[in-house]
Amino acid sequence: MTGTLGSFLILAALLVATAGSMVGFAAGRSGTPEGLKWAQRFAYAFAALMALATIVMETALLSHDFSVKYVSQVGSRAVPAWVTIVSLWSSLEGSILFWGFILGLYIAGTTWVNRNQHVDYMPYAIGVWLGCAAFFSFLIAGPANPFGTVSPVPLDGPGPNALLQNHFLMIIHPPFLYLGYVGMTIPFGFASAALLRGRLGLGFLRPLRASLLLPWIFLTIAIMLGGWWAYEVLGWGGYWAWDPVENASLLPWLTATAALHSAIVMERRGVLKGWTVTLVQASFLLTILGTFMTRSGVFNSVHSFTQSSIGPTILVFLAVAILFSVITLGFRIESLEAEGKLETAVSREGTFLVNNLLFVLLTFTVLIGTVFPLIVEAVNGRQMSVGRPYFDAMVVPIGTALLFLLGVGPALPWGRPRSDEVKRALLFPLIGGVVLAAIGRALGVTNIWTLITLLFGGYAAWVTMSEMWMPLVQRMRRGDSFGTALVQGQLRRGRRRFGSYVVHAGAVVVIIAIAVSSTMRTSHEARLARGQSAKIGSYDVTFTGAETLAEPHRQSTVAHFRVMSKGKFVTNLSPRMNQYQTMREPIGTPDVHSTLTGDLYLSIMNVDVGTQNAGVLMITTPMVAWIWISVILMGLGGLVALISRP
Amino acid sequence: MNRTVLVIGILITAAIVALFAFSFGRDPQHINSPLVGRIAPRFALRAVGTGEIVDIESLRGKPVVLNFWATWCMPCHAEHPILQQASRALGSDVQFVGVVFGDTEENIQAFIRERGEAYPTLLDDKGKTSIAYGVGGVPETFFIDRNGKIVAKYEGPLSFEMLQTYVRKVLS
Repeated sequence: MTGTLGSFLILAALLVATAGSMVGFAAGRSGTPEGLKWAQRFAYAFAALMALATIVMETALLSHDFSVKYVSQVGSRAVPAWVTIVSLWSSLEGSILFWGFILGLYIAGTTWVNRNQHVDYMPYAIGVWLGCAAFFSFLIAGPANPFGTVSPVPLDGPGPNALLQNHFLMIIHPPFLYLGYVGMTIPFGFASAALLRGRLGLGFLRPLRASLLLPWIFLTIAIMLGGWWAYEVLGWGGYWAWDPVENASLLPWLTATAALHSAIVMERRGVLKGWTVTLVQASFLLTILGTFMTRSGVFNSVHSFTQSSIGPTILVFLAVAILFSVITLGFRIESLEAEGKLETAVSREGTFLVNNLLFVLLTFTVLIGTVFPLIVEAVNGRQMSVGRPYFDAMVVPIGTALLFLLGVGPALPWGRPRSDEVKRALLFPLIGGVVLAAIGRALGVTNIWTLITLLFGGYAAWVTMSEMWMPLVQRMRRGDSFGTALVQGQLRRGRRRFGSYVVHAGAVVVIIAIAVSSTMRTSHEARLARGQSAKIGSYDVTFTGAETLAEPHRQSTVAHFRVMSKGKFVTNLSPRMNQYQTMREPIGTPDVHSTLTGDLYLSIMNVDVGTQNAGVLMITTPMVAWIWISVILMGLGGLVALISRP
Repeated sequence: MNRTVLVIGILITAAIVALFAFSFGRDPQHINSPLVGRIAPRFALRAVGTGEIVDIESLRGKPVVLNFWATWCMPCHAEHPILQQASRALGSDVQFVGVVFGDTEENIQAFIRERGEAYPTLLDDKGKTSIAYGVGGVPETFFIDRNGKIVAKYEGPLSFEMLQTYVRKVLS
């Protein structure tokens, strides 16, 4: 019964999305207000049907209705209710339904916000969105149908993927990732509408930029949560492994970041329209590529869903979406001609151009490194993997150059600055760079790339801070009180500017934290009997015993350690080794003592409960916590910029 | 119309579709073993329980199913009865050998007492044999023909049907 109801809702959603997409395109061509009204109705109907289907699935999960196929795959009477609720996105079919639900929210929300505006563009935009919605409804109705029925009905199910139950970050990471990925459909629709219209007016820039910024914020947070999860769960002490699926989340983020910057130049100077639209379309296409990477079973990754039959369907959609973008761009890019021109390279817009080229170069570098093993195997049958050395060698110089621009760009004036203006703007912040590099050197930094990062980082921090608080300072010079200046200058009028610089501040901190944490880490392996201690940095780590815990879905061996520093008790850490029914190798779950200056990370390599011996990997890494903190800054800054007034 | 954008775009689309379409059906976890088609690396290990030394070369003339496993490995628990049953069914036609690594003799003996043993289990206590065979995880099974040549390698727990298919391959 539940399965039939769900299937019916999905089929209705497919019908509504298909019809709405056709109505949208037709209304775009004919320009009738009635056509737009109907397209809007279809958009709301799609969102409502997807929301209902999702509610039906959640109800089936919570009521343990094992006659529904998806519930029989991921449901279990043994797991707590919150696990049951999040099982919606724990497996392939449910996660695609969740995708459809979020897509519905985005489409209906954006349609509602712009219901009386941008009437030239909106029909096409709704047409494109509902076209994408039709594809996902088709996926849910056919190849990834979670509402199939099972007979005979099982009494209980296996519960969701064990890794999902392992850590709270796995509960919040996927929704943020979907909000980021799915949200890229909206700017794609806007950009395509501009191309189909053959025009991109300044008034349309605001919804385009806002629709890009929102998923960008979610994606930023999602990438960080993914890194944090890897750090807390996977046990090798790092947060980024250049795994294909991690790269898949980074690729659209890179192009979207580039697009957010080129949109500013477009707004200021009326140039780079075709380029910005291309970047926006690329961001969407890269999310679909990323979905393909995670769902097709073609890539080797810890994050992949198991091999599935939906890969070919997604590949067809990817091909259609690329072709659509190529054709709209090919036919219309020249109609988005420039209204202004770039004055000189040594100006703020000049650095924006270099910034864009670097982001695109970075995107290609990561993309090629990710698909290169597939290319090699396709060409000569040899298996290989592209790992850290390639990515580090390529990404570190480009990242450093971007950090340099993060300082120099905002320091330079717009337009055609005089050379003494340029000198004055660029020289002062050097103090910040030199001071930070000197502090780093004094604290023992020897790696040349890290020192350069500190130099550029200090420079960028100086520029960011002075630009961020400039409106406040100016108002206070004019006699405003601090309170008035803060509210009027930063939070009311200059919100977008203020938000952007908060994002920059976060970016400076994250780049420095990554550079320092990846080059200054120390690790030590020790084999300890109960009562024995080992030293790492200022910490004394004592093994106090091991025990075995049996749980229904796994067996765990837990080792307990007492951590002291300079004779004082610091904390107890209990890393563990988990053996799951479905996995060939045990998974270590580390335990971390985290402080603002650095982390102590313990991970078990082997442990014997019988003889009470443990092999432990101890790692100290400075500044890791700052990575997570800076991403909060970036998210908040993005939010402040998003809710700015025109 | 911008021809350059169109041509480059269509070429990119074609390349991506061709590349990914080619990659379908490929198991990314699977790594081709360079040992397949070669003579099995030699080892002589002590059997758990009897203490007898088993030399792989002494088994020439008979196909061998060489299974790497460990008592801490849960998929190995699922695979164990299948291997036992197959070994009994095939009798003297095929020699089954288990090699355990990353484990202790007491653990293995307790395991065998509880679940039975139909063929010799050897202890690779220094892990050298597992390294020589390039074992990446347990269970992993090598199928060796009469002449000592490795015919196939399987990663993960075998089902009875899979095992039959591979055994047929070494027997032919």
